[in-house]
Amino acid sequence: MSVGLPPPLLPVARAWLELVWLSIRRQARMRQMLVVAVALMILAVVLVSVITFFGRWTLHNNRPRPRSPTYQQSVYHIKAARMMAAPNDSFGALLDGIGASVQTALDHGAFVVFSRWIVFAIFQSFLLPLWTLSFATDALGNERESRTLIWLTTRPLPRSAVYLAKYVAMLPWCLGLNLLGFGAICLAGGEPGRLAWDLFWPAVCWGTIAFAALFHLLAALFRRPAVVALIYSFFFETVVSDLPGDLKRLSISYYIRSLMFDSLSGLDMSPDQVTVYAPVSGWTAWGVLVGVTVVLIIIGMVVFSRMQYQEDV
Amino acid sequence: MENKSPSAIARTVEDNSAFRTPHSELQSPLLLLEQVTKWYGPVIGVNQVTLELHGGIIGLVGANGAGKTTLLRLVTGQLRPDLGRVTVRGFDTWNWQTKRLIGYCPDADVFYEEMSGLEFVETMARLCGYSRREARQRTEAVIEQVGMVGRSSRKIRGYSKGMRQRIKLAQALLHDPELLVLDEPLSGIDPIGRQDSLQLFQELADRGKCLLISSHELEELEKLTDRVAILARGRIAAVGPVRQIRELLDHHPMTIRIDTAKSRQLAAELLAFQEVVGVDLSESSKEMPEVGTLIVRARNPRKFYEDFGRLVIQKELDVRRLEPLDDSTEAVLDYLLGGRNV
Repeated sequence: MSVGLPPPLLPVARAWLELVWLSIRRQARMRQMLVVAVALMILAVVLVSVITFFGRWTLHNNRPRPRSPTYQQSVYHIKAARMMAAPNDSFGALLDGIGASVQTALDHGAFVVFSRWIVFAIFQSFLLPLWTLSFATDALGNERESRTLIWLTTRPLPRSAVYLAKYVAMLPWCLGLNLLGFGAICLAGGEPGRLAWDLFWPAVCWGTIAFAALFHLLAALFRRPAVVALIYSFFFETVVSDLPGDLKRLSISYYIRSLMFDSLSGLDMSPDQVTVYAPVSGWTAWGVLVGVTVVLIIIGMVVFSRMQYQEDV
Repeated sequence: MENKSPSAIARTVEDNSAFRTPHSELQSPLLLLEQVTKWYGPVIGVNQVTLELHGGIIGLVGANGAGKTTLLRLVTGQLRPDLGRVTVRGFDTWNWQTKRLIGYCPDADVFYEEMSGLEFVETMARLCGYSRREARQRTEAVIEQVGMVGRSSRKIRGYSKGMRQRIKLAQALLHDPELLVLDEPLSGIDPIGRQDSLQLFQELADRGKCLLISSHELEELEKLTDRVAILARGRIAAVGPVRQIRELLDHHPMTIRIDTAKSRQLAAELLAFQEVVGVDLSESSKEMPEVGTLIVRARNPRKFYEDFGRLVIQKELDVRRLEPLDDSTEAVLDYLLGGRNV
């Protein structure tokens, strides 16, 4: 005959909330990866600030060939030629059209250049996964490395709840770091940066949530999750997500960028070669990111429930 | 006389009724390991261990690498057996709910170092699901139990080894568990602290708790309990009262020191005993030249003591000292492990 165990629902809920709060507090302690992340953030902000300071986001001051006039000077030349032409001259009208088109392209080019090189090439492909993994791999990884996981696994809490609590506690830090970093870069980018922030911050949030779920799972699976996550980020999210073909559809970055492209649809702007990149629709991208997050969390909960951590045996 | 193997000893003593409480027929055993085997890749951690505990204090002893920590981690649900089953009151220890029945004081000296002792224990209480108020009450109670009042508000990183041990012990007591699993709980504690800890363990046992204590401090363990489970190479070599295990070690006759005035006469008488396999006669000491010392090696100590008692009465011998020299836990362990130290 066995004695019965008392109903655990309320205590478990209380214990879970306490674990979330404990984990949030423990995440506040600086870690090595976080120092690297912050250093990269400062570097990125300085780089963007310098480019902004020298007004290099647009093509106004660029020259098609050395010694030739800049694009802006070319526009001035077109306007000057127009002033010399008769008002009702068809050639004059043509010059009007060309001048206005080139000026518009130059004015909007700043956002295109900023998005392509800073948002897509640097932030979304490289910094976003890196900053996310600095917190996401640490949530469980640090407990494993410092062997304090034993204090959590000896409590009367389901292991899956421990895993989920760690994820929930780490998420505000990941979102905070990524949004802060993205905001700082956008702020340093001037006008095109502000437009990029307005359009892309939701995609940054969803990307962070998905990456955090992935890196949290890696922390449950591997003893050195930060190393595994770094290798994954560099070789898969950075390289594969830019390759032509369908392989990039396996990367999280692809769906984040698709969300970003979708946010531009109302503005009739295309910051990248959309026909080559072939993004999915915004809803599809959002659905995939949410779905991937949920699936990764469930897999992680199952894995963590079954894993026997033997760091100190 | 037939020599018994360690596994045979384990089987024999497991059947001993001293390990069962009067209610054992009504309730599941408090702790039950059934043919438990655990592998670490190609290395076996514990091998077909069967153990049943119903209460009291049981020492778990064995050489380094014998599988003690693995066994304790199986009992506390940190590891899952590859074969067999570990249950507490009939519940699988891997089940998270079973952890409410178990208090675990691990060997690992790891904490959330940035916390004070009080904060740490209270956090552990909160993680057990207690309300803030109840957690605080329980924390204060266990801090007092382990003798950390007045010192618990300091940061753990500044604690001595003994204070850290006490905090580990405090968190294990928080939820008033039926089974307390203590891995090297006396390690690093000063003599006074040890005395306090032993007293606390005894009090807990008196309150009906079952304590499974792994320790290298065999002398201290002996003060607490004479019941041990001896692990060797992942197997339970013997389990039961130390003296009973010792008696079953036929291939190692018991060594007994006898100080008496008529040592030569007694030696001759003892050699006539069937169970006596040898007698050494030592020189008298300068302090007591009239008293001689005999070192007797005897099989079946119980029968030896009976026969010896009768002989002393019949011959009216003046026995000044009668002391078994190798029935301590350490000696038993040494015999069972073939001379390898713990």
